Amino acid sequence: MKSGLRRDQARVAWLFSAPALVLISLFILLPFLMSLVYSFTDKMLVMRPGRSVEFTGLENFVKVFTNGTTRQSFINTGIYAVMVVPAVVVLGTILAVFVNRPLKSVKVFRAIYFSPQVVTMTVVAVVWSFIFSPGSTGIMNSLLGLFGVEPHTWLQDPDLALGCLAVMYIWQTLGLEMLIILGGLQYIPGELYEAAMLDGCGAVKRFWFVTVPLLRNTMVYVLVSVTINTLKLFTQVYVLTNGGPSNSTVSVVYQLYKVGFLNNQQGYSSAIAVVFFLIVLAISLLQNYLMREK
Amino acid sequence: MQAMSRSRTMTMKVVSMVLYVLVACVFVLPILYMFVSSFKTDTQIVSDMSTIKAFLPTGQLSLGNYSTIMVEGQFWRFFKNSALIAILNVGIEIVVNSMIGYALGMLAFRGKGIIISLVIALAVVPTESVIINKFIVVNSMGLMNTIWGLAIPSAGYPMFIFLFYNHFKGMPQELVEAAVVDGEKYSGVFWKIMMPLSKPIIATVAIMGFIRIWGDVLWPTLVTRDETWRTLPLALRALSTDVYIFWGQIFAFSSLMTLPVLILFLLFQKQFIQSLTMTGIKG
Repeated sequence: MKSGLRRDQARVAWLFSAPALVLISLFILLPFLMSLVYSFTDKMLVMRPGRSVEFTGLENFVKVFTNGTTRQSFINTGIYAVMVVPAVVVLGTILAVFVNRPLKSVKVFRAIYFSPQVVTMTVVAVVWSFIFSPGSTGIMNSLLGLFGVEPHTWLQDPDLALGCLAVMYIWQTLGLEMLIILGGLQYIPGELYEAAMLDGCGAVKRFWFVTVPLLRNTMVYVLVSVTINTLKLFTQVYVLTNGGPSNSTVSVVYQLYKVGFLNNQQGYSSAIAVVFFLIVLAISLLQNYLMREK
Repeated sequence: MQAMSRSRTMTMKVVSMVLYVLVACVFVLPILYMFVSSFKTDTQIVSDMSTIKAFLPTGQLSLGNYSTIMVEGQFWRFFKNSALIAILNVGIEIVVNSMIGYALGMLAFRGKGIIISLVIALAVVPTESVIINKFIVVNSMGLMNTIWGLAIPSAGYPMFIFLFYNHFKGMPQELVEAAVVDGEKYSGVFWKIMMPLSKPIIATVAIMGFIRIWGDVLWPTLVTRDETWRTLPLALRALSTDVYIFWGQIFAFSSLMTLPVLILFLLFQKQFIQSLTMTGIKG
């Protein structure tokens, strides 16, 4: 009876696991293994007839670090992350503290601050590209003109284009990160603050000795998830700039798409993907390390 | 003294209210701008853009842009594509990932440890890093330019498996045992008892999955060849990179694309915000 039940349990468990296992094996594990293998070859997306795939050793990886555009794509993506991540973490925390009040009106503002999240990135990009119109009558130029700032060409300026893409992403995601940090804030039991207050701690001390340590895991989560999301920069580039002007907005994902899909170089694209994966892996491991340590 | 402190709290209240509103402007104005401009002609949009009029319904307003994108722009066709793909994808996503989550979280069987390790390992792999070779796989299965090729490959998702796994692991094991003793099958326990008890987590996954597929650009770019299954974001991109750019139409298209999600958000706002607030705590 008992062993029959156990067998039954195992049968159902495998049956229930099978569909998801098939899907993740076919569409994540298999392509991942292919990327690893092809990254050491000169595989083309469409092979020329009569040519076979050759093993090329580390050639693709050397190209990742020496090819101008590809190297630029890693640098750009890094700069983009450096622009977005601190801004989102700092502003998100300020907003979270700002809306952490049990008032009905404040709840409405929470929803308003979050609302850009429901606007799809493609729409965000298109609308903001109009805000960043280059002429002196463009919205952003007119607004800054009130403060005496000279008009800029924004998305057409190699020094500013990437920053514009960063602004779009910050605007879209800030509300979400605010909510996640707010969740962490509200998770902290109120008695802790009362106890600290009884011990004579002021507001600053309370924030430093109660809020910060207890918010740690939430902050690590926000930090890592935002970082990884910024590394995936693609939509704004694809919709607005195609990597220009003068390669100033080529991102890693855009580059691996372009190299693999448009330029046909599957092996080289796989090598870019492997390096990209290793960077994401390193960040994830760092997260595990930071979250485990109490 | 008391009167002074009262007037002081009053000022504080006003100041903080002003701050709340100012911050709200930053988030709302671009969206408002999009909706307002969608009713204007192109010349009106350009002549309004340097002043506050850009955010106000000034000049001649009409539904002209909307009728153009519906008739010439085939908006409904792309909308139908996006909606069908999203429904199919999210539906499969919920069923498939919750099933494995239940098996891993509540049932005892050999091989469980290996599956859990596999899921954790694959959760680290970003979709974007396997995209080209995933395309090769889907292409060799003959799923290019089909709804299946668009909706199915991303349906098995390690992060969602993990959410369900954690959820079911936290449910009382006795529920399963009691039902089995009463003659219920292990599969029946899942459909009849566990799923009805899992509505909040299902809603969370549905919301997150929907946002993910609705806005995706990269995968549809690879898998669609023509307009048959072209999705809304790709259609909008085509519109905005055309030789002639019609801003009024672009804003009308963007507005119509945003409206359904915005309405869903306003309807399920509480659920929406609650589920997303929890993501940080659960990790």
